Amino acid sequence: MLDGGPAAPVGGADLVMRGISKSYGGVHALSDVDFASRAGSIHAVLGENGAGKSTLIKIISGVVQPDRGTMSLGGNPVRFASPLEANAAGIVCIFQELSLMPDLSVADNIAITDPPRTRLGLIDGRAQRRQAEALLARVGCEDIDPRERVRDLPLSRRQMVEIAKALGRHPRILILDEATSALTGSDVEKVYAILHQLRDEGLSLLYISHRMHEIEELADTCSVFRNGRHIETFKKGDHSDDEIVQLMIGRDWSNVFPPKPARTSPPEPVLTARGLTWPPALRDISLSVGRGEIVGVGGLDGQGQRELLLALFGVLRGVAGTVSIGGKPVKIHSPASAKSPEIGMALIPEDRKTEGLMLPMGVADNITMAALPWLTKHLVVDRSAEAEKIKEMVARMQIKVSDLDAPVATLSGGNQQKVVIAKWLLTGARIILLNDPTRGIDVGTKQEIYQLLRSLAAEGAAILFYTTDYDELIGCCDRVLIFYDGRVVRELSGESLTETNIIASSLNLQPGEIPTGAVQ
Amino acid sequence: MSLVSKIDKPILIGLGFIVLILAVGTVYTLSTQGTAVFLSPNYLMQQLHVGAFLGITAAGMMMVILLGHIDLSVPWTLAAGAMLATAIGGPLGALTCIGVGLTVGLVNGLGVAFLRVPSMIFTLGVNTVLLGLMVMLTGGHAPQSAATDLMLFLGRDRTLGIPHSVIVWALVSLTLVFVLTRTPLGRYMYAIGNQEAAAYLSGVRTRLVIVAAFVMCSLCAVIAGLALGGYSARAYQAMGDAYLLPSIAAVVLGGTNILGGQGRYAGTVVGALIIVLLQSVLSVMQMEEAFRQVIYGAVIIGMLLIYSRGRIVNA
Repeated sequence: MLDGGPAAPVGGADLVMRGISKSYGGVHALSDVDFASRAGSIHAVLGENGAGKSTLIKIISGVVQPDRGTMSLGGNPVRFASPLEANAAGIVCIFQELSLMPDLSVADNIAITDPPRTRLGLIDGRAQRRQAEALLARVGCEDIDPRERVRDLPLSRRQMVEIAKALGRHPRILILDEATSALTGSDVEKVYAILHQLRDEGLSLLYISHRMHEIEELADTCSVFRNGRHIETFKKGDHSDDEIVQLMIGRDWSNVFPPKPARTSPPEPVLTARGLTWPPALRDISLSVGRGEIVGVGGLDGQGQRELLLALFGVLRGVAGTVSIGGKPVKIHSPASAKSPEIGMALIPEDRKTEGLMLPMGVADNITMAALPWLTKHLVVDRSAEAEKIKEMVARMQIKVSDLDAPVATLSGGNQQKVVIAKWLLTGARIILLNDPTRGIDVGTKQEIYQLLRSLAAEGAAILFYTTDYDELIGCCDRVLIFYDGRVVRELSGESLTETNIIASSLNLQPGEIPTGAVQ
Repeated sequence: MSLVSKIDKPILIGLGFIVLILAVGTVYTLSTQGTAVFLSPNYLMQQLHVGAFLGITAAGMMMVILLGHIDLSVPWTLAAGAMLATAIGGPLGALTCIGVGLTVGLVNGLGVAFLRVPSMIFTLGVNTVLLGLMVMLTGGHAPQSAATDLMLFLGRDRTLGIPHSVIVWALVSLTLVFVLTRTPLGRYMYAIGNQEAAAYLSGVRTRLVIVAAFVMCSLCAVIAGLALGGYSARAYQAMGDAYLLPSIAAVVLGGTNILGGQGRYAGTVVGALIIVLLQSVLSVMQMEEAFRQVIYGAVIIGMLLIYSRGRIVNA
């Protein structure tokens, strides 16, 4: 990078992997995988969570080393002991979680690994800025000032900086791991354009995404992974969306959602809230969840839905309004009082890694964390009762675990979420609040969770279910409350529970008023 | 329990190191004096006796370190308890001493759990306040009064050759092991050390657990103070100062994660023994004080390096 400007990439290279296997402990993350990606193509890598996509990427980029198998780049066998080596060979990754330092400037970030130097060995600020300007121009973001702090940029623009930074490292193989999930509006078009251009320049692009329409628009070739195996590689257009999903989950993608029971009379209310107010997030919210009911909470992200769940669960201080359980007014001032038998409430939190689980602790310890007071006799944990309950839960939730004392961090995302749910089922909760519980979970586990919710409801639980996924609102919920700016603006149920209505109400519009382009 | 088996390694290394210290010391004494003084039961019992004061303090310190906190008020909690016990005298003195422990623990716990002051700052402040209070009370002089009978009994006397302070250490240890492994409180302490938000959202009364841990720590400090006062037959102002950093070192040498959440009690016992034996052997070998400090520090760093290489990475 001596000239301070972005040289054109040195051209792409074919990447060929043969017989790659990798296991972590007893878990086979990849078994005997053959995979090839050609120069001058955009290759989509598809699969559920746990299918082995991220392990594949980690092997290509030198983060982990395969147990077996060979890899070649442009015909030459390669073996990367570290990301640095992979980088030097021209393999550059853009990850979903942004790797930018928020308090450094855009230019500092772009040049972070190899800043241009002055003759004295100091960082050459001017050259660095020129370099950043040139790279930003290349991704169509001339309007980003290289001197700006990354923290001050919106998420979508940060993602563009990330892409510019990757281009500055002269990739021959560019890997995008969910790298477009944060993009909005015109940035999406810009990224598509630059990716197509890079492909035409002969780069090999590996693209991981869960969004079908992105894959349709971008990819030339698709490879599907399932359970650590390479299932099939095909040209775009050879399979329909449904067929692709079927390849990914390995079974028929129908009846994802269990049937909703028909209801003749309104259910008796279990949880009733009147006038909940916690400005500015919550403004005068009233709702009621009945016995056996799954009530969805929808709307755009950040309209007060999370605060509602936290307020009900006693986490927020100074919430005005009343809450009654089974008709009796109650005061819930902490999660400890929310879980007491008189109230019987549970919250499946948003982020299972920081709010739901103690990752280094064992599966067993995590499962009984909430119900421990009921497994205690004379201040001492009743170990045999505890062990029995844990066994019951693991069987009921079908948690795949070989050693109950193994750190819960070693489980897959879906199994981790099952542990969180098991923890609350063990308390015998009758009111279950869920905060986006299926985020980052594989399709199979999602389906299990939907079925579990329905069967809990059938046993008499009252369920309040916040999700950002329209399909879940429509498929899983009896009624849906749409939030907008801290208020419930609309309640949808039965025939009116449609995607169009959800989107319209989320934007606080009347049906029929949807601006074109708002529906994706 | 996975938490337990995972941490066995530091304990094994620690035990190995104890053997190594004794072996090196014995080779030295055999070659210079022709005796194996370090292997005599008398010497070992004496080390246990001296080690008990550090062991009890470190046991308390471990309770707060498991939560990811620290208690820097231990030196003056220990000194204040012992000084008041001797100044007041008799059973009332001992009760006052325990009262000091309870009070300081409550104040620390409330400050950290409810006022949300970082424990490093809050307990440092409390330590300074205690220092000031004791200087005011004693007028800047060491109290004249000698250790009470109870203190002498706890700190100096022996039964069947076993120092009572070692028995106290054993009782404190058994109690804490029971709390850590058998009670919800112990489970919650590990949980908070690992992920306080998740523990809170699981309906754990996290603030009460934090207060309880600080109370346990301060109680251990004043118990150590009573025994140490008996051992030296008096209480004096700086008596706790030599116990702050060694007690933290003992906990960490024993494999407890300084950031909380992981650690096995037996490790803390091993850690305390390592420190006591190392100091003793180095002084018998007539090493210069300065050089002793260098070795002492280097050993702590070295052992931590050995542990951290093998520790399972928390995802």
